[in-house]
Amino acid sequence: MKRAGRPAEQLTVDELVRYGPLGHAEMLVGENLARPVSRVALVSDLDQVRRCGPGTAVVLTGGLALGAWAVESALRLAWERSAACLVCPAVTGLTQASAQLARRMRLPVFVVTGDTAACALELAAAIASPEAARARLAARCAELFAERSNVRGIVGVINSEVPGVLVALVAPDGHVLAGQASADRAEHRIRVDVPGPDGRRWAELVAAVAGPPSPTWGETVRLILRLARAPLAASVARERVDAVHDAERGRVALIALFAAARAAAEPAGQDSPGNGGRSMPEEVLGWRVEGRHVAVFLRSDTTLDSVTASPGVVSAWQEAVQELPLVPWDRGWASWWTGDDITVEQVVGTLRRNLARMRSPIPLSGGVGRVAAGAEGLRESLSQAVLAAGVTVRDGHGTVRSFDELGYRVLLASLSQPELADSARVVLADLLSAPDGPVLVTTLAALLDCSGSTSQAAAQLGVHRNTVLGRVERIRARGVDLDRPDQRLALHLACYALLPELS
Amino acid sequence: MTARSITVADVPALLAGAEFFSTSAAGEGIEFAGVWLEDILAHTGPVELVAADDLDPDTPCAAVGAMGSTVAMAELPPSGDEPVVLARSLAGRFGAPLGAVMPLNAASVNALHPVAAAAVLGLPLIDCDGMGRVFPLIHQTTYELAGVSLSPLAVVSAGHDSLLLDTGSARAEQIARSMAQAAGGWLLCGMYPARVARLREAAIHGSVSRVLEVGRVLCEHASGDDRSGHGTARHERLLRELTAATGAAVLGGGRVVEIGPSVRQAGTVYPGNPVGMVVHDHDSGRLIRLEAHNELVLALSDGALAAAVPDLLCLLDRSTLRMTGPERLTAGDQVDVLCVPAAPVWHSVAGLALGGPGAFGFPLRHPREEGR
Repeated sequence: MKRAGRPAEQLTVDELVRYGPLGHAEMLVGENLARPVSRVALVSDLDQVRRCGPGTAVVLTGGLALGAWAVESALRLAWERSAACLVCPAVTGLTQASAQLARRMRLPVFVVTGDTAACALELAAAIASPEAARARLAARCAELFAERSNVRGIVGVINSEVPGVLVALVAPDGHVLAGQASADRAEHRIRVDVPGPDGRRWAELVAAVAGPPSPTWGETVRLILRLARAPLAASVARERVDAVHDAERGRVALIALFAAARAAAEPAGQDSPGNGGRSMPEEVLGWRVEGRHVAVFLRSDTTLDSVTASPGVVSAWQEAVQELPLVPWDRGWASWWTGDDITVEQVVGTLRRNLARMRSPIPLSGGVGRVAAGAEGLRESLSQAVLAAGVTVRDGHGTVRSFDELGYRVLLASLSQPELADSARVVLADLLSAPDGPVLVTTLAALLDCSGSTSQAAAQLGVHRNTVLGRVERIRARGVDLDRPDQRLALHLACYALLPELS
Repeated sequence: MTARSITVADVPALLAGAEFFSTSAAGEGIEFAGVWLEDILAHTGPVELVAADDLDPDTPCAAVGAMGSTVAMAELPPSGDEPVVLARSLAGRFGAPLGAVMPLNAASVNALHPVAAAAVLGLPLIDCDGMGRVFPLIHQTTYELAGVSLSPLAVVSAGHDSLLLDTGSARAEQIARSMAQAAGGWLLCGMYPARVARLREAAIHGSVSRVLEVGRVLCEHASGDDRSGHGTARHERLLRELTAATGAAVLGGGRVVEIGPSVRQAGTVYPGNPVGMVVHDHDSGRLIRLEAHNELVLALSDGALAAAVPDLLCLLDRSTLRMTGPERLTAGDQVDVLCVPAAPVWHSVAGLALGGPGAFGFPLRHPREEGR
């Protein structure tokens, strides 16, 4: 074992503060804490300070509490003998000037209320067995790790129990998953990789320590971080299982909800079991089904594996929008806002803000349906949102469009079916074979969108009108006739079928 | 040593010098005594200042000095006849009239009382004293160190109550102090009656001349006679001249960063309250902590003992070029800390036991003791 061969190094003043008896003392001056402490001297007379060797923790008895001058004299003598630190009783005359002197001497000074002799005894015990003091801290942390069930709790144990250390759990992309974000920016850091449930590196525990840590203190911090790894991996696995489980439950519940709503809308008695499942999702999952809803649908590029990304997307959503569920649905994720005065514009704005805030593992864009009432209304609104979201995929992460805003164009988004796209590639083969084929197809789509207006198409594409004119020439040269009404719809559809893969 | 005299014209210098040797704390509010002394000298004429060696060794003499509060004395000033009462009491015990008087200590208000006494009694003033500074107790003297008995102690109060005390030194001090409280806050004392021959070993010689010399240096600078025209240069020249006149060392100088009551546990025998202050030395950045108990008792420079009683610690106010003390200072004032070595007899083992840091309740060795 790595630690077994290491000699028992002396505790530093720093360590005595962090998990030793000095933790309870008031630190008047915290300079130069990295000094090792070799022994403790309880002095009741200034002359005794003269006999202290280097590295001594000098503890003044109450008998020497004769005022600031006595503490300052002891401070000076301790400094001359390279003492590690000075511990003095609470003398009322100790002021800023005494602290300033200690800072000049770079000697740590601690003030103990109560009996300094007891403090000296505790110091002596800690110094006699440094390993024991370190082990006690590690054991205390391990005990608390076992009691915490989530990532935040486990990281919180280190932040509260290991004084002077700030810890953050940082994802590979730099996102702080838990703990103190400032830890990742500190000058002196100790890092330990944290494996995920699959055993691969999942995140990193970063501990910020004040000043360069002594070798022993660094080792102690590293040990505690390592102790936290297994509980972290376990809690992450649990959270993922929970997320997948919840998402699947949500999907089933939504299907049941829509089925029940459809059954209720149709003539009575036709599908009675639907009524039995009706109340399940609302009560168990806490959903609001009655009232006015606006559904939203999030989706990503079809080439990405949305099933694998689902737990990540759901947890990122829950981080940003805590009060609403996100249910895997179709090839994306569904949710809805409910309220008596809710409007589509509000939901578009809110969703756009939340998408910008969300730290999703994959790019997401959203569609928003119309306002509708009840479970059946929600189903319709969701269908509209799915169609609208189909259009947004081309525009990249963070885009949000509403069904109303897009109008009939939402239909075109459904065209990126593989069969239709294959046919389109054959039909537009001549155009695509040009060196700038994809650009010509995009331009053709824009022209058709704008009823042949080159200036409007130029504005839509963000290029000069002359550029569009040049492209039109090249398009015509490839045998495409824009002016034939019987061909125009087919041409338009072919362009839209190809657009997703061209973008 | 040649005889010389103290006239009305010498009083301002005597006052300024008295303030210097009061070690910064006890010199507060003694200006009233200057006016009072000028008045007496205007009536009686100059006082003859003589060296002990110039007098007949058999001449009976006694030390004169006041004890108690200078504030009380300013409110209830002496009438001027008090020395006559003292001289009568002591002459009765001597069996012969006094032939000369000497100061108990030529510092603070006690630098002026012996001059007034000599003037009123028509006697010469011996150019010596028993402290060379201010000590809080009347038996903290070189007379005591040399074995001259403090008693019989003749005292007279503002109300002309008089008493002749025959007891040991420490008890005489205690009893007289109680009486001072009851009799108006101060007492004028005639003590250490002896033949002049005893003074050869027992006194610090030339004390009064030294007070006058230092006083003249201070008066020249305080008169506003701005010869160099530049504040910093004037201040440096004054420091130079003071150190030359007294053999003082400058421990440091700068801003007062802290001042207030000190919580140290002082011996209860001393009147007054302990005060602590810290001066941030401008040049070295050192922190000079001063502990006072009426007088400045010790100085720690960065925690190391730099100076202590019986050596004198004096504070010079840089803005007024006058001697100052904790009662007149606030945080932010600029001062210089001077240390004037005490008379050699004070550095003996017996001298340090009587007037060293230990006598003031500080369990410290005087810097001179370190080598022993």
